[in-house]
Amino acid sequence: MDFDPEPYELLPAVLHYIAAVGSLLFVVALVAVIWSLASRGRSGPAALIEGIKKGCRDFAQISPRRVWALSMLTIREALRRKALMVFVVFAVLFMFAGWFLQQATDRPDLQVEVYVSFVLKAITWLVLPVVMILACWGLPEDIRARSLHTVVTKPVRRSEIVLGRIIGFISVSTLILLIMGGVGYVWILRQVPDPSYLVSRVPIYGKLRYTNRLGDERNAIGLEYDYSINVGDIWEFRNYIEGGTKSRALWYFEGMDADDFDDKLIIETGFESFRTHKGDMDRGLLARLNIMNAETGLQVPLQPFTVEEYTQNLHEIPRKLQYFDEDTQDFREVDLFEDLVYDGTLKIAVECLDANQYIGMARPDLFIRLPDRSFFAGYSKAILGIWLMLSIIVVIAVSASCFVKGPVAVLLTFSFLILGQPFRSFMEKMVTGEQEGGGPLEAWYRLIHHLNTTSELPASLLTNAMKFIDQILLNFLWVMQNLIPNFEHFRMSPYVANGFDVPWSAAMLPSLVVTIAYLLPCVLIGYFSLAMRELESK
Amino acid sequence: MENDAVIQIRNLTKIYRDFWGRKKVLALNSLSLDVNKGEIFGLLGPNGSGKTTTMKLLLGLLFPTDGKISILGKEASNVEKNERIGYLPEESYLYRFLNAEETLDFYGQLFDMPASQRREQTDRLIKSVGLDFARRRQLKEYSKGMTRRIGLAQALINDPELVLLDEPTSGLDPLGTRDMKDMILKLRDEGKTVVMCSHLLADVQDVCDRIAILYEGELKQLGRVDELLKEQDVTQLLTSRLDDAVVRDIEEVLKKHNAQLKSIDHPTNSLEDLFLKTVKESVERPGRRFLPDEAAQPDASEGNGQSPSESASQTPAESGEQTSQAESEKPDEAQPAS
Ligand SMILES: Nc1ncnc2c1ncn2[C@@H]1O[C@H](COP(=O)(O)OP(=O)(O)O)[C@@H](O)[C@H]1O
Ligand SMILES: [Mg+2]
Repeated sequence: MDFDPEPYELLPAVLHYIAAVGSLLFVVALVAVIWSLASRGRSGPAALIEGIKKGCRDFAQISPRRVWALSMLTIREALRRKALMVFVVFAVLFMFAGWFLQQATDRPDLQVEVYVSFVLKAITWLVLPVVMILACWGLPEDIRARSLHTVVTKPVRRSEIVLGRIIGFISVSTLILLIMGGVGYVWILRQVPDPSYLVSRVPIYGKLRYTNRLGDERNAIGLEYDYSINVGDIWEFRNYIEGGTKSRALWYFEGMDADDFDDKLIIETGFESFRTHKGDMDRGLLARLNIMNAETGLQVPLQPFTVEEYTQNLHEIPRKLQYFDEDTQDFREVDLFEDLVYDGTLKIAVECLDANQYIGMARPDLFIRLPDRSFFAGYSKAILGIWLMLSIIVVIAVSASCFVKGPVAVLLTFSFLILGQPFRSFMEKMVTGEQEGGGPLEAWYRLIHHLNTTSELPASLLTNAMKFIDQILLNFLWVMQNLIPNFEHFRMSPYVANGFDVPWSAAMLPSLVVTIAYLLPCVLIGYFSLAMRELESK
Repeated sequence: MENDAVIQIRNLTKIYRDFWGRKKVLALNSLSLDVNKGEIFGLLGPNGSGKTTTMKLLLGLLFPTDGKISILGKEASNVEKNERIGYLPEESYLYRFLNAEETLDFYGQLFDMPASQRREQTDRLIKSVGLDFARRRQLKEYSKGMTRRIGLAQALINDPELVLLDEPTSGLDPLGTRDMKDMILKLRDEGKTVVMCSHLLADVQDVCDRIAILYEGELKQLGRVDELLKEQDVTQLLTSRLDDAVVRDIEEVLKKHNAQLKSIDHPTNSLEDLFLKTVKESVERPGRRFLPDEAAQPDASEGNGQSPSESASQTPAESGEQTSQAESEKPDEAQPAS
């Protein structure tokens, strides 16, 4: 069962990956052939093939014992060089932060959010630089001090050096992360005033549709929209339904089976109210859930409830439902699954009962709440997300450090990090043409000529040349965008901080896939750069 | 002879280039030589003559600009050859945060040795290089001589057929130098081939079977040490002490045969011999100190607890020990005039 916010499609991703890596390999091979012809003449390609064969042998003959030895060396080095000073900083930070965070708010769920996201952010941003710098500096320092000379004159494959370093640094980050995660967990438990808010809710999300105020009489399927009234705030992502009319918000939960309905179903709602007149100020707006059979049109209204903002509204729906049937003027009992679920789809309609008042909702505002998991489970997954991100940073850093010196490797890795997170959406917009004002040259032109971003550019040779160059730059950006990992995948703290479990398909799977996807090309790049260079520091 | 060659170098040239590919140094110019199985081969030359470069090219640490290398029948860039090679770098480039045991265990693992074999080898080698007392200390606390010893131990961890030693005696005191030389000779007795390079002439003369003299990247001499050093037109007599009458008689005889007498002298021992003798005596008779005739030094009564080599090196300068100490500390200054 899979109703995650945006389920991750594995197969297309893998295909896309194969296509990307394949075309990259093709380009690299082409360049290599030309280069070998240029530098060695006719015998070039033969030497190239020999090199590739040697590479294959070096990977086939990898000895686990050697890789293990090299990883242990890396770990020992990190530990004995006092990389763990970062702990001290961490502890100090925690002691101070506690003072400031306490008065932040008095809503328990927001307090949980503040504490949890503080801890997870602190862990990420303390460990990340340390691990990045360690991983970037390891190999170059080894080459500079020439201790690598002694190693490579043993029967060590360069592939083993790259792998050993990667595994070593990942182990170091695992160690640091485990300790910090543990400290952070205890800290959260002690700081949060109401531990009952420390839960990992497991939601199932549905699809949301709306009907307008003229919605069809009994069978409300008539006119459905995927938007409804906006109450005037253009940033508001919720759509509003009008009270006392036939306007409904309809949620469809597909693919349900009998196992999901033990003896009851719990629905959680979090709607927003919008009043056009004061009404009864002592209570919230009245709303009602109706369970509907999408085929027969059977509609079972539940008890009305008041919309309490900023708290969880929980609705327990028993398996056997009693309701008053207007047609027969009698009470009837139906089975939630047998009678109301049609073709695996559960349909819930929300109505507002106060005339001229509005209730706003978006897709995540109503969901089926499965039995909670422990907060620990969600927290561990968030830590795992940080771990995956650290791993991918280590992989990139180590392979960068195979061909450049420490500071440059840091710069390179850091730009991956920047381009992979805050810059990413901007880049995407540029590439897809959604960002107005064109490419970099055009933007400059507009700046200088005081043209706004929507007015037409005058057609001239200059502007055409500019657009052409911009197109090349944008294509380059497109390549970059496809090369640089999307670090958004690794951010799982929002789930945990808001009291949700981290969903497998929407969060865990993509980050796992991205990490694995980067491992192979990076190891290859690292191997060939190490194998092709003289290990003499220049 | 050709089949016996463990190393074949043909027209080896190495040019160091800078980042932009511009020529910086011609470190080795068309070098050709063979090293045969079971011999101790010495590469001799002043600093910067290309000895280390040759070693690194042999090991595939550097790539030749031109020329061919065959080492143990393989190419220099082949990793598998390293299974049978031991290498002691110019300075012991080891991990300073490991201790002696961990160091040897680490390099043993790189040869894919099982744990029991590693333990055995580690133990044996630490003892044989005389570091048993410091086996648990991190290498950053080691003196230069100790680092050299652990360096040699790591080079021998795989019981190699071919041992490449880059300046094996640099940084060692005379005792250590003697030990090192003995160990090198022992390696040959075990049937291993040894290639060492050095600028210390005495070391090379004592242990090497054949030498090559490099100067500014070019091969200037190649051959057996005894043949290269033998002066064919000089004859040396060594007799028990002769009094002047006998010497005069001998001069008569020489004159009769039309030979020219070049010198008659008492042979001097080498400083190394004197030093080793002094140390040996100190071990046999502890507490004995050399005092200059004029005045005993104020602290002369102390120091019974000092180790033999320390007390030996404290003797005044005229007996020569301090000069030899300084020489072994700063090998660069001891280069032959070029
Ligand atoms: N990494 C390097 N880059 C540039 N020049 C080098 C490098 N290593 C050695 N050289 C130069 O090559 C020459 C030979 O050096 P080397 O083989 O170390 O001499 P030796 O070991 O005989 O003292 C020297 O002139 C030295 O300056
Ligand atoms: Mg040298």
